[in-house]
Amino acid sequence: MNAAVGGRTAIGGTIGLLIVAGALTLRLVSPDDANEGLSDATLDFFTLSISVFLESLPFIFLGVLLSVLVQIWLPPTFFDRLLPRRPVFRRAVMSLFGVLLPVCECGNVPLARGLIMRGFTVAESITFLLAAPILNPVTIITTYQAFGWDHGILAGRIIGGFVIANLVGWLFSKHPRQSDLLTPRFDAHCQSHDSASESASKLRRSVTGFAEETSAMLPALVLGSAVAGAIQVGISRDILVALGSNPVWSVLALMALAFIIAICSNVDAFFILSFGSTFMPGSIVAFLTFGAMVDLKMLVLLRTTFTTGTLIRLTTIVGLCCVILGFGVNLIA
Amino acid sequence: MPRRFLSHWRGILLSLIGIVSIVWLAATDQLGLYIHPRYFVFTVIMSAFAMVFIILAFSFLPHRVGEAVEHESHSQPPRKTWVWSFANILLVAGTAVALLVLPPVTLTAATVAQRDINGSASSSAGNDSVVLVGADDSALSVKDWAGILRQGADEVSLAGKTPTLIGFVTPDPDDPTNVFYVARFVITCCAVDAQPIGVPVYLPGWQEQYDVDEWVSVTGEFVSNPSTDSFQATVLSPSDISVTEQPAQPYVY
Repeated sequence: MNAAVGGRTAIGGTIGLLIVAGALTLRLVSPDDANEGLSDATLDFFTLSISVFLESLPFIFLGVLLSVLVQIWLPPTFFDRLLPRRPVFRRAVMSLFGVLLPVCECGNVPLARGLIMRGFTVAESITFLLAAPILNPVTIITTYQAFGWDHGILAGRIIGGFVIANLVGWLFSKHPRQSDLLTPRFDAHCQSHDSASESASKLRRSVTGFAEETSAMLPALVLGSAVAGAIQVGISRDILVALGSNPVWSVLALMALAFIIAICSNVDAFFILSFGSTFMPGSIVAFLTFGAMVDLKMLVLLRTTFTTGTLIRLTTIVGLCCVILGFGVNLIA
Repeated sequence: MPRRFLSHWRGILLSLIGIVSIVWLAATDQLGLYIHPRYFVFTVIMSAFAMVFIILAFSFLPHRVGEAVEHESHSQPPRKTWVWSFANILLVAGTAVALLVLPPVTLTAATVAQRDINGSASSSAGNDSVVLVGADDSALSVKDWAGILRQGADEVSLAGKTPTLIGFVTPDPDDPTNVFYVARFVITCCAVDAQPIGVPVYLPGWQEQYDVDEWVSVTGEFVSNPSTDSFQATVLSPSDISVTEQPAQPYVY
């Protein structure tokens, strides 16, 4: 019996290596003129979409591996020992998890799924999901390098991110049936996960978890990347940039830019720094806060887990909060 | 089988396609066409970790041990599952074509038209003074010169400077007949945030000699812009222009 299983394992591994070799061969033999006849806009669509996919993929892998770590390798009582029992304080501490797990926003999606499967409430998971891309050392350092303490941009981002994440988490915690916030598919996955056989080895369960999570996340990433690429090709940035000096429109324009550009929160400060002379400080804070929490690619990724209604509410609340934050900073700075 | 493809194998296959693409791009020094070099090491390391899981998946998954997710799609009627599986096979195939068949290319002038050239202050401050004190300006790039012009340098302060700049050709939207930019894209994170920067070149009838998107090397001196339509105050008056190969690293950072 063991010999048969061992044989199948070896055959499976060999097939895997052969498929890798086949994919590599396809890449090597593909002609250099395979894109001949495509228009410039089509070529740019592929380049932009592929860049989003390749930039996000390693972060997704990191998030999936951390999710597997949380679900399978950490003791069940690990988080219970760490976290306060009162929900408000518990969410507040969870919003600081990004300090220990500095994964950017797309990598946080599989990790947030892992937290829900591990037994955390949806509200707690959302709090972590929104706060972690901002309240992590890499983001804070890069924002400081870009803006220092000028115009309250760094303080606005950190404080705004913390407050908005906890506010949204508190609002969603009031929902009487947390599972209704999840897609039926993911909810069923959580239920079956609870009763899953623990007889398999941790390594085997980890590999299975990796396959399940990548199967949930990567199709969404492919679609999200394609949509982001298409919008970049189809919508001119000139219109948004032209609105930069207006205290009201600049906030909305930069939030729209953050939504469509879907740039990683770890480096978005450097990107928007180049527009620093064009836009007002409040709009930059709104860009840095809103873009780290919600963007086009993120919504497609989040749709694997949350219902459309949940995402509409989440986007609306975060958007309104960021508008208020942006206007407030514009008034003060 | 379709359920198993949806719950396990589509993620493994998409991961595998992405990793093979990353490894090939890194090995052929083309990963920079898509992402900033600061991510190269992280991207390759995470891909290596993921590849270990993929090979293990091919070894372990066929045994069907302990996969709770099998339950999740039991509620779907078989016909819907097959349709959904077919759609996902197309998705995987399309991803394979995009990443493993199409040759990697840089962004084109079509994207410049979508984004205001020199609309951001991507160039570092301070280069102006470096030039004016007579330091070696041969090392300055298109990005540096674009920044200097953006800071308001004119033909008087730039007198005697004869930079040689390499970039692709894109027309000045305000006077496409007489002025073109020798341009590059500045990347912060990945190609999706690319901002075009460029130095305007005054050459009436340039379209008869050079194509848009063609890579050129331009040498010249700065003069007041003779064009009445262009908004650029100072332009490069070329003494020599030659068509050149696209550099191995076409973007600037």
